Amino acid sequence: MRRVVLLLCALALLGAAGSAAGEEVVRIGHSVSLTGGASMWGQSEARALDMLADRINASGGILGKRVEFVRYDNRNDGVESVNVARRLVSDGVVAVIGPAQSGNAIASAPVFERAEIPMVVTTATNPYVTIDQRTDKVRPYAFRPCFIDPFQGTVAARFAITDLGAKKGAILYDVGSDYGQWLARYFEEAFVAKGGEVVAKEAFRTEELDYRAQLGKIKELGPDVIFIPTSQKEAAMAAKQARDLGIEAVLLGTDNWGSPDLIELGGSAIDGGYFVNLTDLADPDIQEFVAEYKAAFGEDPVLPNPVMAQDALLMIVDALDRSGGAGGEPLAEALATIKDLKVTSGVLTVDPADHNPLDKPAVIQQVDVANAAFKFVKKYVSVED
Amino acid sequence: MFLQTLITGLSIGGIYSLMAVGYSLVFSVLNFSNFAHGAVIMLGAYVGLALATKLNLGLGLVLAGSVAGAGIIAVLNERLAYSSLRRRKAPSLYLMISAMGCSVFLENMVYATIGSRFYAFPEFFGRQVISLWGSSVSLLDTGAFVFSLLAIWGLHLFVGRTRTGIAIRAGVSDMTMCSLMGVDLDRLIAVVFLLAGGFAGVAGVFLGIKYLVYPTMGWVTNKAYIAAVIGGLGSLPGALAGGLILGVVETFVSTYVSSVLRDVFSFTLLVAFLVMRPEGLFGRGGEEKV
Repeated sequence: MRRVVLLLCALALLGAAGSAAGEEVVRIGHSVSLTGGASMWGQSEARALDMLADRINASGGILGKRVEFVRYDNRNDGVESVNVARRLVSDGVVAVIGPAQSGNAIASAPVFERAEIPMVVTTATNPYVTIDQRTDKVRPYAFRPCFIDPFQGTVAARFAITDLGAKKGAILYDVGSDYGQWLARYFEEAFVAKGGEVVAKEAFRTEELDYRAQLGKIKELGPDVIFIPTSQKEAAMAAKQARDLGIEAVLLGTDNWGSPDLIELGGSAIDGGYFVNLTDLADPDIQEFVAEYKAAFGEDPVLPNPVMAQDALLMIVDALDRSGGAGGEPLAEALATIKDLKVTSGVLTVDPADHNPLDKPAVIQQVDVANAAFKFVKKYVSVED
Repeated sequence: MFLQTLITGLSIGGIYSLMAVGYSLVFSVLNFSNFAHGAVIMLGAYVGLALATKLNLGLGLVLAGSVAGAGIIAVLNERLAYSSLRRRKAPSLYLMISAMGCSVFLENMVYATIGSRFYAFPEFFGRQVISLWGSSVSLLDTGAFVFSLLAIWGLHLFVGRTRTGIAIRAGVSDMTMCSLMGVDLDRLIAVVFLLAGGFAGVAGVFLGIKYLVYPTMGWVTNKAYIAAVIGGLGSLPGALAGGLILGVVETFVSTYVSSVLRDVFSFTLLVAFLVMRPEGLFGRGGEEKV
């Protein structure tokens, strides 16, 4: 109760301040990792959003108002993300972009839901970002432009079995991360369903550096492929340690591997590894964006976050336009009914049943150390057939 | 599998020992836990990284440069953050708090100046693996392990045989008496921090090569701190033994029990030692420590 009263006071104050100044701005919250382990993507995400907002403002803004970001660093930390969410709520933003990580997004979702502020996450791929795990109902204020983990895990398992011819699989994952834990499960289910055998499922804790004990166990069981659903840092260390132990299995990863420094960090050990990703620098749909980003900042964007963040902003802009800026509830309804919207990554339609995009493709990339590049291998639009 | 686990455990333990030595050295003289040691290790790794990538130096020169760099950083750290507290005879709790502050400060300095991205050392000898009865160990790990043992042995000799070493041991047993006998305490403490920093430099480079270089890499030192407590804070042989024991126990727990329960065991070991034998394996209460 006290919180509600405080919130109302804060909102009333903000409303008063807003009308007194008579400023015509739309304030959109941005919960992003500007420091911490995920800052590479976070920084790139912030740049891409500012770039797009400048363009939107130059052509008249949203509903005639300027777009302005209220940006806070969530340090890729669950507790900090909730603090950021509370601050954004008290700042009176109309909608929020981020957080990018599933664990942080799941932690933030109830805060925004209570305040009736729609949240559009960028790359949080866990199903329970938009579905409440306790009630199994869709969260009315949570949306995303990216594919979800069951799809990603299934794509990885299918690729391992049909394209790599793997029969025995092993999994090494971070037990402290929602992302890794769930992906390990989805991969295992899909791999077994397609006739494979998961011989080892080994975990480590977040911030741990040495996986040789786990890898030593995996080595004994001789898998054809090791699935490592982690970010590029852990993947690089796991690859080095696996090769040091004389493990020759193919390494298979997920969208969090997709950072340019994977090659530098993993060196020869990571060469030839495959991973699932949301977008590819070579994807024809995003060439215009990549060129614009490169011209503005002199380097390639750190995919996929910048692209997904732009998609999120475009979703919010479209929904604001259609709901006429009438508040959180109509805005959420408009977000849930987005159809054939032109976004940076292509065309997007939101499924009103679960707030996930329909038919979002996944690409398989291969690490090519000699050319310091990710080679495009294959694109999956669905996991049927 | 048993042999592989043992080898892996020893190689992890070697690094723990190297880091634990830094804690023990400072604790033995100033009687406080220098929690900034992890940050000095991290800075040592960055110094080594700069030498390896910008100047393309070999491993030997990288190690030497990092030892010197981290040594100087540790001495500066003492001069700027601890010496005034020390002169005012502040309780060691204040020094410990100051050390925690330094650690946060240094980490954030790196965030602000170098940035938060991860770096890897160049591959000094490619990926060469030695095979022993079906177990594998990388050449680098073997080298790092042997080097760590030699360095700790060298320090042991230094403290036992040289004039400065004797002065350090005198300081350990009674600082006031030591200064009354004409030992320059500031100089003595600077030497201790220089040595601790030097070890931090070696540890930083080895950690960087084995894993990665990033601003919070120093956090792994909480394991080294456990190792130092198990061995007996302030004891050099204790730091060595504590590190190796912890490394081996952790690896066996990960392999034969559960990798997720590993830290539960490490911290249980710490608590058990604190309750049953707070002076650690090699600690000798108020007597000679180093």
